[in-house]
Amino acid sequence: MPDTTGVNGLREEFRVVGKPNLPGLTSYAMATGVAKYGTDYTQPDMLFAKILRCPHAHARVKSIDAEAALLIPGVLDVIQWDDPVFQELGMNPIGGFPKPSYLNQEAHYEGQEVGCIVVAESEALCEEALKALKVEWEVLPFITDIKKGTDPNLERIRGPELTQGEAAEYRPEAGMATSEGYVLMTKHYPTDPPREANVSWNIKVDGNPEEGWKKADFVLEYDVNIPTNISTIPNPPASVAWWEDSMYKGPGQKIHIEGAPHRRESIMSMYHKSSDEVVQEGLFQGGKYCDWGLRMAQEVTPLLSKRFGGRPVRCCNSREETFDLSRNERHMHMRLGVTRDGLITVVEDNTLVDNGAPGSSTMGSVSDRDWGGYYTLKCKDITQKFQVVDSNIGFMHTCAQFVPYNWDSITVAFDLIAEKLRLDPVEVARRNLHGPSSQDDPDPVPSFEKSVEVGKELMNWDWHPAGTKRLPDGRLHGTSFRYAICPRHSFMDYFCKLEYRDGVVHFPTQGPIAGWFSTECFTMIAAEELGLNYEDISVDYDYREKHSDQAGGSDGVTGHGWIVKECANKLKRKILESAAREANRPEDAYRGVFSFPMPPSPLKGCTADELDIVEGKVVVKADPNRFVPFSRATRENVTAEFGGYSPKSAWVTGFGRILDTMNTSWCEVAVDDETGEVEILKYIVVPDVGKVIRRTSLESQIDQVVYFSQGCQLLEEFVQDPETGVKLNGNFLDYRVPTTMDVPEVSKEILELRSGNGAYGASGISHNLANSHLIITAIHNATGVWVDPPATPDRVLKALGKCEIGGEA
Amino acid sequence: MKTAGISLADACAQAQARIEKMPTRQKTVTCPLCGEPFLSFGDLTAHYLAVHPEAVAPVEVRMTVNGRDCCLIIEPQMTLKEVLQFHLGLTGAKQMCDRGQCGSCTVIMDGKPTLSCNVLAADCGGKTVETVEGIAVQPKWRPLIDAYCKWDAMQCGYCTPGFLVAAKCLLDRNPHPTEEDIKEALSGNICICGTYPRHSQAILEAVSYMVKGGEQNA
Repeated sequence: MPDTTGVNGLREEFRVVGKPNLPGLTSYAMATGVAKYGTDYTQPDMLFAKILRCPHAHARVKSIDAEAALLIPGVLDVIQWDDPVFQELGMNPIGGFPKPSYLNQEAHYEGQEVGCIVVAESEALCEEALKALKVEWEVLPFITDIKKGTDPNLERIRGPELTQGEAAEYRPEAGMATSEGYVLMTKHYPTDPPREANVSWNIKVDGNPEEGWKKADFVLEYDVNIPTNISTIPNPPASVAWWEDSMYKGPGQKIHIEGAPHRRESIMSMYHKSSDEVVQEGLFQGGKYCDWGLRMAQEVTPLLSKRFGGRPVRCCNSREETFDLSRNERHMHMRLGVTRDGLITVVEDNTLVDNGAPGSSTMGSVSDRDWGGYYTLKCKDITQKFQVVDSNIGFMHTCAQFVPYNWDSITVAFDLIAEKLRLDPVEVARRNLHGPSSQDDPDPVPSFEKSVEVGKELMNWDWHPAGTKRLPDGRLHGTSFRYAICPRHSFMDYFCKLEYRDGVVHFPTQGPIAGWFSTECFTMIAAEELGLNYEDISVDYDYREKHSDQAGGSDGVTGHGWIVKECANKLKRKILESAAREANRPEDAYRGVFSFPMPPSPLKGCTADELDIVEGKVVVKADPNRFVPFSRATRENVTAEFGGYSPKSAWVTGFGRILDTMNTSWCEVAVDDETGEVEILKYIVVPDVGKVIRRTSLESQIDQVVYFSQGCQLLEEFVQDPETGVKLNGNFLDYRVPTTMDVPEVSKEILELRSGNGAYGASGISHNLANSHLIITAIHNATGVWVDPPATPDRVLKALGKCEIGGEA
Repeated sequence: MKTAGISLADACAQAQARIEKMPTRQKTVTCPLCGEPFLSFGDLTAHYLAVHPEAVAPVEVRMTVNGRDCCLIIEPQMTLKEVLQFHLGLTGAKQMCDRGQCGSCTVIMDGKPTLSCNVLAADCGGKTVETVEGIAVQPKWRPLIDAYCKWDAMQCGYCTPGFLVAAKCLLDRNPHPTEEDIKEALSGNICICGTYPRHSQAILEAVSYMVKGGEQNA
């Protein structure tokens, strides 16, 4: 949906938007190390805290003997889960926590915070105290193998208090907007089969699958396996808090907390404090990748500080303690009905998925069912059966780089259909992809066609059947292709305030500064609309401001940018009205310094409609030689606010049945069938971003999502001991994320077809390129065998039947 | 030139201020176990013998940090990273992996890139340490910082100082690196935000500028 309802949505000339190499607003602070993140804060006389972590996959603390720990000099306190102090806490509106205690007695995965918090004069002493604790654990049954977890005879790993609300469980984070408004998706339908042991069900049927099967000429049956991946957020969660005197509320009434940027409201709610009683100046959030959950280390420090008379307390997670999940394990057993022309007539997705520890997000699992790739197909007969298994694998706050993973089952489907029919998978995709207006629209959206055309050219696309091509050096050659729609936010309520004050436009924002350069994009948009330069806008970072860079990455920037564009135009109008009013004041009211008469304003006699702002001047449209500098447009303070929703995106309103901007990704690999090594020769992305707002950060977002996808498919493997459920590689040496030596060059040809719902028709990019199977599919095209990710050399050789792992041939 | 947000000059001035503010000598020494203050290291040592005889006593270490001579009384288990942060107030070396796998805490010690989370500060006696703040205050390296910012060789910015220190080390020993040289030199630094190609772009541009004799005025 192009930006036709707003102001200047179809603007042709851009002076600021799209301009390259404008440094980020805080980049110099970040590069020089002076930017402070949660881990960086220190205070004089600071205490340290560490939280006990469960060493078992599932266990309950029966008792904690802290006597020895408290005898260690410098250890000040051991606060146990049943301490009444926790009762004083209010509910965190974002993360929430189970009542009655903030700190759990039962841990549902290894490494979960549980049982007690120690406070000492140093972090080393905290560690020593934790070791000195005598904790009596009741080790409970656990599930870290979700296939085995489906056994109906297994003991339940969750008490009824954690599952009783399932039937009516609402998941705000999976909320979607429809033309009727905001809808919260339930985790389970009333018609779903009842829970059995550790398995619950979610079954969605669209159309008439029986009819779909009748139309099929053959059945395609295959598996898509997606492993657990880790949220490798760079900065370990940490905070430092202390209590200050409040001028109005009295001594020690004000919390100062650093390390929980953007979540001041959560802290206010937890500690029953008003806005003026919580100070949080630091805005650098670090990398979060849509993982918006606060960790205990970021919440609990005010409570601990209060216990020690307001002394600052620091709590910081280690890397291993930061190993939360970014993607839950999922096994999709697929059955498709297909015609001999390659048209999919029916889809049956039988998914077995990890439910994660209690409270985990459903992103990447049942929340995929309404908005994924299936609805981009002409096929309307779709069954999605989710078998959701409770587990003790880990906790997922929000699926980083989330994109519905049924895109991957389609990527694989196109490859398999192509293989069977000896048909180019791009052609298979084209035959199955419906047009922009509905599933009955036969012709794919122009965005798709253009993306395919460019992608093919960049790839020198020459598809071949699996295992039929070798490179001159003897390695096997494979290619793959996928498409996706460009997701973007239009279901969030955005807000913007701009103020003209003393000749300068101010853009006040609370941040956070989180790595997607959204404030920079907004500033560029505001400057563009106001006829100013990027540098002319003063961005005022202030934690008390309402404006926040909501949503993540380019997805959020585009919808939010639309609000900024509208707000800038509102401000512009008000400035011109004010300038006209001031210029047309009676002469005796128009006084300069000490009441000396001022010459008439060059704008005198003009109405606001006759004025414009051009290159830093307020000019008379009919005579640009009549102007005043923008800095002297008016002496009034002029404020504009704009809030609400951006235009609805087709993706959201149509749940994939209506399409506008799309993208394609292409991969070419060489596989050494002697060593099992996979080399990515080409990775090409051709997204239709609608309109480039800020090119360098847009390109980096693309790189990031490709590296994420590459890491998950070639390198990263989360390993737990099957006997104990304990993770074995909670570090960056054994859990291998890509480095400069691993990543492929990502070639990008960015299209700007202006058909998105964001400012100037921009659309998002950051999520939609995430995938679990583009490289895997290319490996299949090279070798003729499927390798489950990560396709490490040993796994490739195993799939080729050339080595054994663990006795399994 | 007018810049939006925090300028290079602002950031470098902050780095300079941090260096100047470093408490290179402690006027009073606080017992890390019981918080009791003392006037000298000798008094603290005596206190340990008398009150905490089973604990390992702090040690006195002298090192040069960003050109300033420091005499620090530290607990022997503290890493250089911890001392830089908790004793000297420098935040450029970042904690990410805790064990020398990510490069975010990289500093330069006696001219070599060093993972400060993997080095005991007690072993740094007599050493010369340079952090990203120390690099930022040298006009010679401002083109490098400027190029990093112009090319967005950062997103969330957390790992960036570590990369920048590694880049400076590379340029110290190889003023004309190729893209492959850069990739190899930075391969010990992890960025989760996908900025890897940007570092090469920034470093190559900075090299080009520096070859022409450019020093950026902050």
